[in-house]
Amino acid sequence: MSSFEEIEHTADRAFRARGRNLAELLENAAQAMSALDGLKPGAEPPITREVEVSGVDRETLLVNWLNEILYLEQTQGEAYDRFRILEANNHHLRAQLHGGKSTNTVSQIKAATFHNLEVKQMPEGLEATVVVDV
Amino acid sequence: MVSEDNLVRVAEYVWEIPATFRDDMRVPARLYADEDLLHAALSDNSVVQLVNTATLPGVIKHAIAMPDIHQGYGFPIGGVVATRLPHGVISPGGVGYDINCGVRLLVSLAPVEEVKPFIEEIASALYANCPSGVGSRGPLRLSNSELDGVLHEGARWMLGKGYALREDLDRTEEFGRIPGADAAYVSARAHERGRDQLGTLGAGNHFIEVDKIAEVYDETVAVRLGIYAGNVAVQIHCGSRGLGHQVCEDYVSRFQKTVQEYGITLPDRELVCVPFDSSEGQEYFHAMACAANFAFANRQLLAHLIRRSFEQVVAGRIKHFHLQQVYDIAHNMAKIEEHDIDGHRTRVCVHRKGSTRAFGPGSSVLPDDLRDIGQPVLIPGSMGTASYVLIGTPGAMEETFGSTCHGAGRVMSRAKARKMVHGAELRQQLKSRGILVCAGSMSGLAEEAPAAYKDVSRVVEVVDRVGIGKKIARLEPMAVIKG
Repeated sequence: MSSFEEIEHTADRAFRARGRNLAELLENAAQAMSALDGLKPGAEPPITREVEVSGVDRETLLVNWLNEILYLEQTQGEAYDRFRILEANNHHLRAQLHGGKSTNTVSQIKAATFHNLEVKQMPEGLEATVVVDV
Repeated sequence: MVSEDNLVRVAEYVWEIPATFRDDMRVPARLYADEDLLHAALSDNSVVQLVNTATLPGVIKHAIAMPDIHQGYGFPIGGVVATRLPHGVISPGGVGYDINCGVRLLVSLAPVEEVKPFIEEIASALYANCPSGVGSRGPLRLSNSELDGVLHEGARWMLGKGYALREDLDRTEEFGRIPGADAAYVSARAHERGRDQLGTLGAGNHFIEVDKIAEVYDETVAVRLGIYAGNVAVQIHCGSRGLGHQVCEDYVSRFQKTVQEYGITLPDRELVCVPFDSSEGQEYFHAMACAANFAFANRQLLAHLIRRSFEQVVAGRIKHFHLQQVYDIAHNMAKIEEHDIDGHRTRVCVHRKGSTRAFGPGSSVLPDDLRDIGQPVLIPGSMGTASYVLIGTPGAMEETFGSTCHGAGRVMSRAKARKMVHGAELRQQLKSRGILVCAGSMSGLAEEAPAAYKDVSRVVEVVDRVGIGKKIARLEPMAVIKG
């Protein structure tokens, strides 16, 4: 089972992410968005940020998590390429973002959306398809 | 999915999906298209998205899609939905993340032949002076009170700083300032994201383009707008940058709970909405108006930077290079307007998502010198293709809440465009056709390839023939600056 894949979308961009549990789904969704955006962290010095995010349900938590990453990247001029969920339940997460100062400023993603979003229980774990606005 | 069998042809180029198509539809859905554009619309989920918007509480008359309809998130891009006030809903997801994304057109009296020898220098100056990319920073560093001044005053704030001409404001939708803005409802994060982004272009399909006025269809109206065939013009396409994105995020996320409290059931969570007259609806409207004003100010500062770039390069080398504003329009916005519905003047909240206001002659909200001809409408084409200037019509007032199309409309996914098109090769191809391209990202350039879009001329032809917009002039690109 691959952790994520890009899905065709006419105007914007979309990906499907999977995980054996919610924490892994959240990590893989962040990894997918990072891969789609193409922002690259510089080699030195490494930057680690710790964040806490809340939401009224799993879908809101997922969107708020992805938008938290975009907010930090765009306001701090940073890029993250590794994501570690330290704890997560359906309403709250605590996570570490690892990366560095961004080597390019041409990020394409404006925001993660709720469009047709559902965190689905599959036989192998959880799955969600996210459309991001570009 | 929706198929052609579900559509009823109600007039030439006008198709209807009856309200009986789905149990949750409150009104029929209407689509303006010729046969080919209709088939393109049916090839993805855009028509399902159109049907979804026909379920919004308070929606009246029809949910409408323009011929440039394509798949978005929540609303289709190219959608128009009006809700009856005071209780009809306002939907932040319906307006979208780039609040008041729009287009500004400046024209000169300089002939193309005089400008052409300097076009590379002009393109380089524009690329250097007008920062691009999602997280890019602009030339101003605003204090909290200065930023709130921008959010409340829009493009008017720029007048006091020497970045605007009074005539610019007269030639801007809402005169460059949406009433009802209150920065108290804009989050600290949105303030932070906007603080240094005024005068920046952003990424995606945003651009600055130097054009030649290739053809004039209605000389009387064109002359009134300062448009003459063979002269140079400049278009700006961008919006409210990170500030607008954050306002939308804040309210879409917060309303995920609020929508349940109002007992509203929706087919897509991105369509979250609240009654316009609720405290939450008012809070969003105050914040959205701030983001809209930020976008007007952003395009105003970009216009100033463009004028300065022209001056740097061609002052003393050619005459008549001054750039005069034709108009500035929004194509992602919720507006409070009055329209005639079934013989009654009715107050409505018109959501235009990838659709342009196109008020016809006689509209009281137009400046005195445009009232007899109607509102200029700016329709940018895809990169490397034509753009159009239209004028608003009585037909648009009668049929589409004074709205028309907004651009070409995509037909190919970004992923497919990147596989099929090589950015550097595309730049070379365009150069061989006499179109210079400056872009920060080659993959971003590939995503915006002309082959990924519908033919803008066909889109414009449909709105012209249906009478919801009238062709005035066609522009062709000479140089494109992209994020």
